[in-house]
Amino acid sequence: MSHSPDPALLIAQIKDKLGIGEDKVYAVMGEFAEPEELVEAGRRIRGMGYTKIDAMTPFPVHGIDEAIGVPYSKIGWIAVCGALAGITTAQVLIYYVGKIDYPLIIGGKPLFDFTYSIPPTFELAVLFTAITTFLCTWGLSGLPRLYHPSMNYRNMHRASDDRFLLVVEANDPKFDAQKTAQDMRSVGANDVEVVEG
Amino acid sequence: MSATTTHNYQLESARWSTGRNVLALAALISIVACIAGYIQDPDRFFRSYLVAFTYACAIGLGAFFFVMVQFLSGSAWSVTMRRIMENIMITLPVGALLFVPIAFGLNHIYPWTNPTLINSSQLLRAKSGFLVDKFFIARTYGYFALWSIWIFALCRQSIKADDKRSIQQMRVASRWSAPGLFLVVAVGTLAAYDWLMTVEPSWYSTIFGLYYLADGAVLFFSVMILICLGFRKAGVLDKEINIEHYHDLGKWLFAMTCFYTYIGFSQFLLIWYANLPDETQFYRHRMPGTWLYISLSLPFIRFFIPFFTLISRPAKRNLKIIGFMAVWSLIVVYLDLYWIVMPVFYPNGPQIHWLDFATLGAVVSIAGLVFWSRFRRHAMVPVGDLRLEQSLHFENA
Repeated sequence: MSHSPDPALLIAQIKDKLGIGEDKVYAVMGEFAEPEELVEAGRRIRGMGYTKIDAMTPFPVHGIDEAIGVPYSKIGWIAVCGALAGITTAQVLIYYVGKIDYPLIIGGKPLFDFTYSIPPTFELAVLFTAITTFLCTWGLSGLPRLYHPSMNYRNMHRASDDRFLLVVEANDPKFDAQKTAQDMRSVGANDVEVVEG
Repeated sequence: MSATTTHNYQLESARWSTGRNVLALAALISIVACIAGYIQDPDRFFRSYLVAFTYACAIGLGAFFFVMVQFLSGSAWSVTMRRIMENIMITLPVGALLFVPIAFGLNHIYPWTNPTLINSSQLLRAKSGFLVDKFFIARTYGYFALWSIWIFALCRQSIKADDKRSIQQMRVASRWSAPGLFLVVAVGTLAAYDWLMTVEPSWYSTIFGLYYLADGAVLFFSVMILICLGFRKAGVLDKEINIEHYHDLGKWLFAMTCFYTYIGFSQFLLIWYANLPDETQFYRHRMPGTWLYISLSLPFIRFFIPFFTLISRPAKRNLKIIGFMAVWSLIVVYLDLYWIVMPVFYPNGPQIHWLDFATLGAVVSIAGLVFWSRFRRHAMVPVGDLRLEQSLHFENA
């Protein structure tokens, strides 16, 4: 360890790569007391032309996806792919092992038959689907991560308690810290803040 | 908002009368046809009637089970539809009346009524204490009596809540529901053994009760979808039962289709694997002639087609598609029950007879009249349920 880099510099580089740091703006955030207000405000903010909108709530709020234009999750199709992979693996494995690699007659049953290959096929389909879905959910959600710039928002802890947060991210083409903060206030958000990364 | 809360959700009496007249006419025509059929060919009448009777009871059993599930889970999504579910459930006690023809025609349907057959086999002699006609009839009335106690208690609480608008009735209904679920499955299993399995008295399958109840669950959700769509077409409850509710009914139809497949396949796999003559005879009797084509097509018409049609979210939110799948399920479940009963009498293939339609029409229209009669006095929606408002504005995540 003759030449160790300056840790502060290293952290700054990593932060720069992730797009976070004191010199960077992450978003404009504001809070609402009621889920209905959040949905209404989200719809109005989207109507103003913003596209990079997010919401943070203590529980799932019905209608918010549609209000802020979050597309329907792709996880269903990923799950289908996982299931197909499981089905293929099981069928090929049972066929290859039982009929080609080590043919052995057990209980007078055929070397391969759909009847008895279906239960393991079902199990492998479920297993593959579960693992694929789990990993892809983490991947699509950007997990695991130890830090998120939204944590800098003053009332962030209340998003898991009694407040409904609305976020307009800085990478929105229409984003302008002053103007966006004004827009957020105009749709009824409280404690509007320009949150740094 | 005040418009919805003051709404009393009563069906207009003119509409109610039209519905009753249509059902009464259908009942009258089909009953006359059944009597004519009975005079002409009593054997055929009783065989067709058994399929129709078990079909109608399966719908009632499905409704009975899922009404109690709604009470126990306290689910809000189903509240706007719960009164319709309850009214389907209350058609199950009518089964006691619909069973009367079977009670008089046991020797036309059940081979075990023939003492020489019973004495011919060791296996049947061992069952001879159970397969006695008087005991058989008494058992069936015992099932209906037990179910009816629960069904009337649940309906009473639900109607009471309409005026009282308190949570107390909900609590009482939940207390009835937990043992009630057990009652549906345990007694329903015995009923399925009696009504359907003893058509082939030497055959046995412990899972058969669930097979029948799974059929009932599929039928129930199909009937629910079609009744709601019918009301929607007439402009009744079209805002109260919206696309979100259909989506959930579609999910249930999909889930119960998978459940049926799971049970049906489990039965087949174990019998296939053990390969014992007493058990395999069921499938053996469904292989000759055209029965083979029905046997082979069951996995496709009862699983693959509904599964791949209903799996996607847009499909379940498309009223045309779920309406079509509901009709489809009603037909294929009938075919399934037909496939269970008829090969015993017609070993070389199905012989479609007009009595199949007449008996089904009679049974369904009589049950339908009971269902419809409930809409005359009571609201179409449980107006006293505290979660009604939540259900009206419910959305799928």
